[in-house]
This record gives sequence, structure tokens and C-alpha cells, in this order.
Amino acid sequence: MIRLVLGVAALLSVAPAWAQDPVPDARIAAAVTEDVVEIRSDFAGAPLTVFGAAEGLQDGDDIVVAVRGPQRDLRVMKKERVLGIWINAAPVRFEDVASYYAVASTRPLQDFASFGALRRNGIGMAHLPLRAPDEERTETLLGVPGVRVSDLGAEIVDYREAVVRNKTRQSLYVEADGGVERLEGGLFIARLFLPSETPVGDYTIEVYLFRDGAPIATRQAELSVAKAGLERVLYDLAHERPILYGLLALILAALSGWLAALVTRSR
Amino acid sequence: MQIYLPIAEISLNLYLLLGLGLGVGFLSGLLGVGGGFLMTPILIFLGIPPAVAVSTQANQIMASSVSGALAHWRRKSLDVKMGVVLIIGGVFGSVLGVQLFGYLRSLGQIDLVISLCYVGFLGIIGSLMLIESIHAIRRRLSDAPAPKRRRRKRRLIDRLPFKTRFPVSGLYMSVIPPLAIGFLVGALAALMGVGGGFVMVPAMIYILRMPTSVVIGTSLFQILFVTALTTFLQAAQNQTVDIVLAAILIVGGVVGAQMGVRAGARVKGEELRAGLALLVVAVCAKLAWDLAATPADLYVLIEAGGAP
Repeated sequence: MIRLVLGVAALLSVAPAWAQDPVPDARIAAAVTEDVVEIRSDFAGAPLTVFGAAEGLQDGDDIVVAVRGPQRDLRVMKKERVLGIWINAAPVRFEDVASYYAVASTRPLQDFASFGALRRNGIGMAHLPLRAPDEERTETLLGVPGVRVSDLGAEIVDYREAVVRNKTRQSLYVEADGGVERLEGGLFIARLFLPSETPVGDYTIEVYLFRDGAPIATRQAELSVAKAGLERVLYDLAHERPILYGLLALILAALSGWLAALVTRSR
Repeated sequence: MQIYLPIAEISLNLYLLLGLGLGVGFLSGLLGVGGGFLMTPILIFLGIPPAVAVSTQANQIMASSVSGALAHWRRKSLDVKMGVVLIIGGVFGSVLGVQLFGYLRSLGQIDLVISLCYVGFLGIIGSLMLIESIHAIRRRLSDAPAPKRRRRKRRLIDRLPFKTRFPVSGLYMSVIPPLAIGFLVGALAALMGVGGGFVMVPAMIYILRMPTSVVIGTSLFQILFVTALTTFLQAAQNQTVDIVLAAILIVGGVVGAQMGVRAGARVKGEELRAGLALLVVAVCAKLAWDLAATPADLYVLIEAGGAP
């Protein structure tokens, strides 16, 4: 009996301590099936599978997988009608925009994650980080010096939507609610797709474990997309020895034209 | 079967590209045009970046003009001296065109300029050809004799200095007009991804008054060297020539051109010219419509800087 009481007391003393712990004991591990995706001449896109295990996963927890492609500078122009035709105007340069961005989650993001957590981590199409340094100034606002102000103002929302819309059309940006599948024993799997326009470079994969609206554990993995085989040889040649590549193009055209002339005459 | 194009960085269907080369090659064999004015807009429409489409097209046109120019060389229907003068003008035009191309690309206006050039040139040339061929068909139907050639009048061109003799064409004229025509065609080749035959042939007949027998050969001779230079400059400076795409289009184009030449032997010249004119006007109308119609998306993304 005493032993039983002690047991209950031990349980009672453990439980509150566990509930107070600001960082619950949860860890996450993740990996990709291939850490190098090779682009060869028959490349028509490739599946990308991210899998992992979440330790201490509870019911009601959610998992988010975010894959970001190499960052590139991006110019966004808005078409305006001038003299009856549409021309590109109002260019805004955004720095370091993810060239590929896929977000998969167990449920729709807004159902389990707080706005602040999504914005801080740049998770989801509505929270895509966009920086336009050319449009920014530092000002003193309400007596606080050094506040960064963007001239874009509320227009940034239009620009973000435009970037997401255009990239989604090319399948380079994807938001897949329910794209992460929970398996037994804290295991999970996310199936994504790299389209044929996938840019080459280094990709980062971030996996978040969400509880009560905030991420309680994260894990990063890496992936690289590279041209291989003949595609790589030609691409490297074009960029590293452009003169030689240009001569090769000339020889190819001259030779095939000459061959065609020979065949025509012999008939 | 999908094939990945290493410079365009996009994968397209191999048979679609071969068929495209075949179709445009057929038309070029049938109608005696280079076909660049059809191919470049189609390539851009398929999603190939305009810069890559224009530069690769120069490479393909070079291949088809090599075989054409060789055939005319053997038949001696080629004015080498006139060709060299046109090439000198073309070299300057091409160099300027490639620079202008790079500058417009950095401004984000290259698509607009390509489209405007197409609409302007195709519109003018297509309608002139259409009117001319309709007149020719009506003359034939009414059995009226062809109008007599007007006597050569002394024109402004005849007053220009630096005159020289072009024995093959039987002309004695200033080198300035051919230099200027060569320059314009060279710039067009670099900007629009065309050979420029559709501008040069009428210019040679109506402005330089060269005999029709040497016009096609000489124009192919000039196009050959100017597209070669354009290909080389685009490859060396902008890295926008896609050899894989060029090879596919060349193979399709060579076979298609042979089929076109044979089919052309069985069709009357005036109908052919009218057909070509209709095609040119249709391409022009489509491009003009795209410029004027409200775009589906008001925003365009332009990847700044090249790939790593």
C-alpha cells in the first residue's frame, strides 16, 4: 500500500514538471531517398521523397516539410498598356528568392500553425520571404531611429502573389496540404516532385514538428540537383569555354549543311 | 520521349521538336524561305527562353544556308563580290544586334522588341507579297500580258559615291546601298533569330535591281556568313546557343526541306507566293493580337543574372 502511494506520488511529481517544460522532449530525424538528383538528357522531372521519424509525436501534432531551391535574384515587372500594347514596366528587384519552393504538411497550415510561427520561418506561399533592398529606406519612425521602411508598402502583397502564381504555373512552387503522410510509430513520409524546369543547385529541406501552433523541433537535410552526363559536359563547355563551344556549333552547322548538299546532289 | 535541353534548361518532347523542324523545313523548301520567322516564335511559345530561341535559330539557319549556298555555288548563280559587300555590312549589323540584344535583355524589354520587329516587318512584307501575288494570279486568269518593265530611271542611289562594278550581276553602282542592306539584315538576324532573306531578297530585286537569277544564291551566301558570326557571338558572349536543340532542328529541317522542294515542283509559283504571304500575315496578326490583348497575368518574372 505504501509502495502504491509512493508510486502515485512519483507519478504526480513527474507530471507537473513535464507539463512545465518549455521545450518538450521531441526530436525529429529526416532524410531524402536521393541526396543528388541528376539531370540527364532524358530528365523529365523526378520524384522527391522525404521521410523521417518524430520522437515524442503526440496526437494533434503536425509535421511540415519545406524544400527550398537555390536562391536567385528575381525581377518582377508589371505590364502596363501604352498606346494600345502591353509593355513591361515598374520593375522591382527581389533578392535571394527561392527558385523552387515546396511545402507539404499533414493538414492545411492555417489549421494548426499560428500566423507568427509561419511568418518567422517563412513557411507557406503566403509567407514567402521577399526582400527588395532597392525599395527600402531607413527612417526614424516615432522617435525610433533605423527603422527599415519599404516603398512598396501594401503592394508587396500583390508582388508576392504574382511570384507565387507564376512559379506555381511552372510547378516550381507547390503547397501540398496533406502531402505529409503519418505512418505508425512516429514515422512520416512526404512525396514531392521536381519538375523538368527544376533549377540546378543546392536545396535545403526543413522538417518542422508543430505543437500548439509553434514548431517544437526542426531538422535540416540537404539535396543537390546537378546536370550529369552529356548535359553537364555541354553546359560546362558553353559556360567555361564559350569560344570553343561557339566554334563547335559552327562546325556542326557547316558539316550538316554540307552533308545535306552532298545527299541532294547524288540524287 | 522527353529530351532535356542543356542550355534552354527545359525538357521537351523529342518528336515534337523533330516534327517542328520537319514542318518548317518543308515550308522553307516549298516556298524558298528560311523559315526562321516561323520557328523562333514557335520555340518561344513552347517555353524556350527568347534569348536561347533566337541564338539557336541562327545556328540552324546557318546549316540550311550552307547546303543552299553550295548548290548555287555549283550552278554559278551567286554574285560573290556583291555577297562580300553585303557580308561586310552584315558583320557590323550583327555585332550591333548582339550588343543591343544583351542590353534590351537587361532592361527586360527583349520580348517586346522581338514582337514589335516581327509585327512590323512581317506585316509590311506579308501585305506587299499578298497584293503582288493576287495581282499576278488575276493577270494569269484574265490572260492579260504582263506589264512592260519601266525604263531605268536615274535614282538617288545612282548619285551615291564609291561606285564599283559587279560583273556577275551586271551592275555598276555605289557600295553604300548593299552595305546598308547588309547591315540591316545582320542586325535583324541577331535580334529576331531570322536569316533575313525575306527582307534581303525584295531589297536586292527592287532597290539594287540585281538579276533574279543570282538573288537567291547571293542572299544565301550572305545569310550563311552572318548567321555563322551571330551564332559565334551569341555563344561567346551570352552563352545562349543550345547545340542539342540546334541539332534536332537541323535534322528535321534538312529532311523537311527536301520534301518541300519536291512538293514545290508540282505547285504554281503565284499560288505558292500567295500561300507564303497568307502565312506571314497570319503570324503577324497572331503576334499583334498577343501584344494588344489583355494578358492573362499582368506580372512577369525575369530571372536576373544567369544560372550558377
